[in-house]
Amino acid sequence: MSDHKFLTHEIGSLAKPPWLTKSALGRELDESDIEHARTWGEKVGVEGHEELVESLQRGDADLEEIARWSSRYCIRLQESAGLEVIWDGEQLRSEMYAWAIEHATGFESRGTVRSFDNKYYNKSAAVGPVGLREPYHNDEFSFLQSVAQAKLKIPVTGAYTLAVWSYDEHHTPKEGRLGGGYGRPQEIEARRELTLDIARNLIRPNLEALIGLGAEWIQIDEPGASTEADELDIFVESFNVSVEGLDCMFSTHLCFSDYDLFFPAIEGMSGCRQYCVGFANYDRRELGTTAADRPGYEVISKFRDLPYDPILGLGVLDIHTDFIEPPELVRDRILYAVDVFGDPARIHVCPDCGLRTRSWDVAYEKLRSLVEGTRLAEEALSQAHASA
Amino acid sequence: MAELQAFIPGLYARSEELVQATRDLDRGRTSAEAVEEQVERDQAELVAAQQGAGFDLLADGKLRWQDHFRPLLEAADGLETGALTRFLDTNTFYRAPKATTETPSLGAPIDQRYVPSLAGPRLVTLPSPFALAHGTAVTPKAMALGVLKPQLDALDAELVVLAEPFFAHDDEADLGDLADALEALAGGPKLAVWFTFGDARKVLEGGAADLPVEGIGVDFYATRPTDVPEGFSKLLLAGVVDARSSLLEEPRELAEFAQRLGERAERIALVPNGDLQYVSERVAREKLTRLGQARTASVEAAA
Repeated sequence: MSDHKFLTHEIGSLAKPPWLTKSALGRELDESDIEHARTWGEKVGVEGHEELVESLQRGDADLEEIARWSSRYCIRLQESAGLEVIWDGEQLRSEMYAWAIEHATGFESRGTVRSFDNKYYNKSAAVGPVGLREPYHNDEFSFLQSVAQAKLKIPVTGAYTLAVWSYDEHHTPKEGRLGGGYGRPQEIEARRELTLDIARNLIRPNLEALIGLGAEWIQIDEPGASTEADELDIFVESFNVSVEGLDCMFSTHLCFSDYDLFFPAIEGMSGCRQYCVGFANYDRRELGTTAADRPGYEVISKFRDLPYDPILGLGVLDIHTDFIEPPELVRDRILYAVDVFGDPARIHVCPDCGLRTRSWDVAYEKLRSLVEGTRLAEEALSQAHASA
Repeated sequence: MAELQAFIPGLYARSEELVQATRDLDRGRTSAEAVEEQVERDQAELVAAQQGAGFDLLADGKLRWQDHFRPLLEAADGLETGALTRFLDTNTFYRAPKATTETPSLGAPIDQRYVPSLAGPRLVTLPSPFALAHGTAVTPKAMALGVLKPQLDALDAELVVLAEPFFAHDDEADLGDLADALEALAGGPKLAVWFTFGDARKVLEGGAADLPVEGIGVDFYATRPTDVPEGFSKLLLAGVVDARSSLLEEPRELAEFAQRLGERAERIALVPNGDLQYVSERVAREKLTRLGQARTASVEAAA
C-alpha cells in the first residue's frame, strides 16, 4: 500500500462562461464578461486567450469559435486544478440529454420541465423508431484530442437515462390506460423496447465511432439509472447491449440515487470497469474516517463485493453547494473508502457529478481541494505503511 | 349521477417565460422584482385558464415554491432542507425535510407569496403530515401539530389539499398514524388527502373512507375504479389526468370514466393524478383545458 497514487478525474459538465451564454443568446457583452475571459485565460493558462478577448471586444467572434474557446478554458481549468483525466465540461454540447436527443430521430420536444429549484431541462417524447442522424461526439473528441495535455475520458449519456428522461408516446397506448387497465408490466415492457432501441441504434454506433477515433475511456452517464427500482435489469441490459464486444474501458456514472437499489442487478454488468458514484451529497462535513463519521459512504462495501472487482470512482465533492470541501475532508473520505475496499488501486477520486451548477470560481476551488486532499490521503497511507 | 367538480391541486408548471426569468435571476441577468412580475403574470394566466375551463375551485399553482416542502422548512424551527432527493420516479428533485428536533414548530405562517389570495373560491395545497415527516425521525402527528396546524389556522380557503406522494409506496406506512395526524388538524378549513402517483388500493382497503377529512384523492392511472368502496361518501378527488405523461387525454374518455366512478362515489372532483409540474406548461395547459372539457361533458350528459 506504500506510495500509492490515486487517479483523479472529472465527471462531466462545467458551467458555461457568460461570454458564451450571452453570445449564444445574441446578447451584448459587458466589460465584466470580457474581464472574465481575460482573468480566467491568465489564471489557468489558456494559450492565445488574448485573441479571444480582442475578438469579444470587437464583437465579431463566431459563436462556434467562442464555444471552442470555452472548451479550451475548461480543459485548462481542470488541468490547472491538477486533475489527471479530464473532459471539457461539455462546453460544445447543449446539455447531456438535449445534445443526444437533438442528434437522434424519433423524438419531438415537449417543452421545459423543472429538474429542481430554478434548474430545468427540455423534455422530449419518443414518437417513433429511434435512429442516429450522425455520430454526435466525433467532432468534439477530435477537437479535444488536439487541445488536451491530460488524458481524456468521454462522457456519453446512456440509453436508460435517455429513455427514462423522455416521455414515450410511441410505445404507450393513447387511450385505455385510465382505471389501472395499463399496468406496471406493460409500462416496463414499453420502457424496455424504447431503451434497447436507443442502446442499439443511438448509443452503440456512437461508441463505435469514438473508438474508431482512438477513444480509450468512455463513461456511460446514467444519472437516471435507479429511477425505477423494478427496471434495473433494463439499465443493465442496455449497458451490455451498448458496449458488448467493443474494445475500450467503459465506466458508468450514477448519482443522487438510493444506491442500495443497484444490488444485485449490476452483478450482471461485468463490462463496466469503473463505477463513478456521488456520495458527498449524503455525507457529513466533519472530519473522521470511521463509518459513523462517513454516513454518505455506507454503501461502498457493496461495490467492493461485486464479483468482477470494478474500480470505484469515489465522489468526494458535493456539487450542489458552494461549500469548498477542505482537503482534510477529502482525505478522510478517501481513507475511509480505502479502509473499506482494502485495495487503494480500486479507488479513483472525483466529484459527485458534473459541476455545471457552480461558478467557475467555486468549481475550481473544489477541484483544487480534491487534488490536494488526494495528495494528503496518499501521504497518510504512505506514513501508515512506513510506521507499520 | 354524482355531483361533479374539477380543479388542479399541486405544483403547476412554470411558463417558458418564467423558466427564463428564473434562470436569468440565478445568473445575475435580471432582478428579483422582474421575476416576481413574471410570477404574477403566470399566476394571472393560470387563474384565467381555470376560470375559462369552468373549474370549481381556483389554485395558484404554487409557482413560487421551489419544491413540495421548501417554504415550510424555511419557516419552521427544527426543520431544515436536507439532501437533494429524487421525487419518486421522475427526473425532478426536492430538498428532503431534515429535522433537528422531534417537535418542530412553525415560527410564523408562510406568507401570502406562497398561499396567495385569488379572485374566487380557492384551494390551497400543502404537504400531508406523513409526507412532511417522511425520512425524518418526527412523527406525522408532531408535524401536524407543530407545523401544519398553525399554517391551517392562518388560512382562509374552501379546501386544503394535503398532497401525499409517499404513503402508497411505503409498505410500512400505517393508516392509523395518518389518521391521528389528520385528527390533529381538525377544526380549520376542509381537508382532502391526495394520494398522488401510486396505487391507492391498500389505502382504500385499509379504510381511507374513515379518515377525518372531507376528501380522498386517488391516482386512477395506478388504481382500479373497483378499488373504491361502493357508496364512498367522501369527496373523491379522481386523478384522471396523467401528470407524468405528455400524452393528452381525450375528454370523452375522462367523462366516461367519471360516469363509471359515479356508480361508487356520490361526489367527485376531476383532478390530475399528481402535480402538473412534471409536464411543461404548454402540455399542462392543454391537459387543464381537457379536464375542463371533460367536466363540462359530464355535467351536460347528466343534465
